[in-house]
Amino acid sequence: MNLQLNGIDYLIIAVYFLFVVGIGFLLKKRIKTGNDFLMSNRSIPLWITSLAFISANLGAQEVLGMAANGAKYGLYTAHFYWLGAALAMIFLGVFMMPFYYGSKARSVPEYLKLRFDEKTRTFNALTFAVMTVFSSGVSLYALAILMQTILGWDFSLSVWTAAGVVLIYTFLGGLTSAVYNEVLQFFLIVLGIAPLVFIGLDKAGGVEGIIQNVENAKLHLWKGMDHASHNPMGVDAFSLVFGLGFVLAFGYWCTDFLVVQRAMISRNLNAAQRTPLIAAIPKIIMPAIVILPGIVLLALQNQFPGFELPKNDAGEVNYNMTLPLLLSKIYPNGILGVGITALIASFMSGMAGNVTAFNTVWTYDIYQSHIKRNASEKHYLYVGKATTVAGILISIATAYLAKGFNSIMDLLQLVFSFVNAPLFATFFLGMFWKRTTGHGAFWGLLAGTGAAALMHGLTVAEGKGGWITNIHEFYSGTSQAFNIAAVAFIVCFIATVGISLVTKPRPDDQLVGLVYSLTPKQKDKAKIWYKNPLWLGVIVLVATLILNIIFY
Amino acid sequence: MKRLYDLRFVIGLFFVVIGVLLLGYVLLSGSAEGMSINKWGGILFLSFGIFMVALSLKKPVE
Repeated sequence: MNLQLNGIDYLIIAVYFLFVVGIGFLLKKRIKTGNDFLMSNRSIPLWITSLAFISANLGAQEVLGMAANGAKYGLYTAHFYWLGAALAMIFLGVFMMPFYYGSKARSVPEYLKLRFDEKTRTFNALTFAVMTVFSSGVSLYALAILMQTILGWDFSLSVWTAAGVVLIYTFLGGLTSAVYNEVLQFFLIVLGIAPLVFIGLDKAGGVEGIIQNVENAKLHLWKGMDHASHNPMGVDAFSLVFGLGFVLAFGYWCTDFLVVQRAMISRNLNAAQRTPLIAAIPKIIMPAIVILPGIVLLALQNQFPGFELPKNDAGEVNYNMTLPLLLSKIYPNGILGVGITALIASFMSGMAGNVTAFNTVWTYDIYQSHIKRNASEKHYLYVGKATTVAGILISIATAYLAKGFNSIMDLLQLVFSFVNAPLFATFFLGMFWKRTTGHGAFWGLLAGTGAAALMHGLTVAEGKGGWITNIHEFYSGTSQAFNIAAVAFIVCFIATVGISLVTKPRPDDQLVGLVYSLTPKQKDKAKIWYKNPLWLGVIVLVATLILNIIFY
Repeated sequence: MKRLYDLRFVIGLFFVVIGVLLLGYVLLSGSAEGMSINKWGGILFLSFGIFMVALSLKKPVE
């Protein structure tokens, strides 16, 4: 597949680059301290934090990956939104944000320091910093490979151009610039892909055409969930609900600083709580933009020639080409430039989100905590800026490393998933059980991570895993990932409880504002409904429930 | 200059520019294949851009 761009397409890409860099230059004047650069001085309006909250997650994995999953698994992919994200975002807004924001922590690892101890924070900060900077590099690598494949662009040109643009606007305007650009990127991605969905759906014969041309098994959410072999995703209801819906989704949306940071820079606690709740509204509509293209492609394949997906080197269908294929078949030059810009924006959004989260955690949780404690705000501003440059350079190096040794990147991502899997158990116990101790949290995290690795070594799915021995084979890699997460969570939970019971807890007075039972409850009842996090949570919950019933 | 700090204005301006570029391309290309998509896409982006600029002219949001 090779798309031919012309002058108008390149002009649109150039205008986009001009705007994102321009935003960086505009905001430069407002950056005077480390707090401005790394925390936006906690002054960002609610509508911006809400859109940035979902946009930080609207990277390439979401845009390309969910379209690919739409073609591979059909509507079952929507579980990532209507089971996973929505409930976790409600939980974050209603229950967890008061502790993150109210504790005055500047980062998620810093909350761990306040609640537990320095070693738990450092473990989380180090793993998070390494993960974000490598994820940024993987994003860069994926962008360059995609541009090489569909546009014939030189790998190095894509890497250095994208990294250079992200560097300019994050270096100049810090987190505020990244967040502002994320909002621009959100609108660009949604409006750039929406016409593709609309035209594709029309060409496929509308909803009737989808129903007639896509196998029925891919048009449901819950049908066939009684057993992993009865649905295209290869998962059973328990692994889906517990593994994805609880452990993985809550672990990501409630503890990953990359997204939580967007809520933590709100102007006040009420806005911080409402950020994920308001973000949940476009989030539950997002499958229409990112998953539907995959389903539309399935319908088009059945009716028209030329919509077959290409195969990769191993001879397997390359589902990641779903969106680029639709762009090439449906969009003419002109709007094609907008579509390609939307793809580039998704990669850059993911990269900038990772870099800004990395520089905050590095500066506050590693540098300030372990290297230089009581320096001036100006000093931390310089450190934050230097960290931004370093983060981008490491990302570039990672992109080249991934090009040469793809298996190393797979391994790294696998190790990161082991570290992430148990994290929610630590936060959950920390916030809701005052008896949880620092030793319990730290060793529980390590035990959960070890259990995830062990589970991967003992099970196989789609030819992966089983590097110790094979005691069980899963129907799909997705099912394996959900089950590994579930086991990691349970082991971390049990180990944390067990160790906490035999170690000394902190006195109650040190845990006020950090633990649910010891924190005075807010009195939100007088507020109008759209300012009340609980009411917003109920609205999102009901909407999600209705979607699950409609698409049962 | 102060308006440039309002993100609604910046986003609106971006989509106005993109909309104008697409509509200008349609005018220059005549009735070439696929121009209908560009025309409606251009109108969509331009309308959204104008809407965002108009919003930014109102009082600041929370």
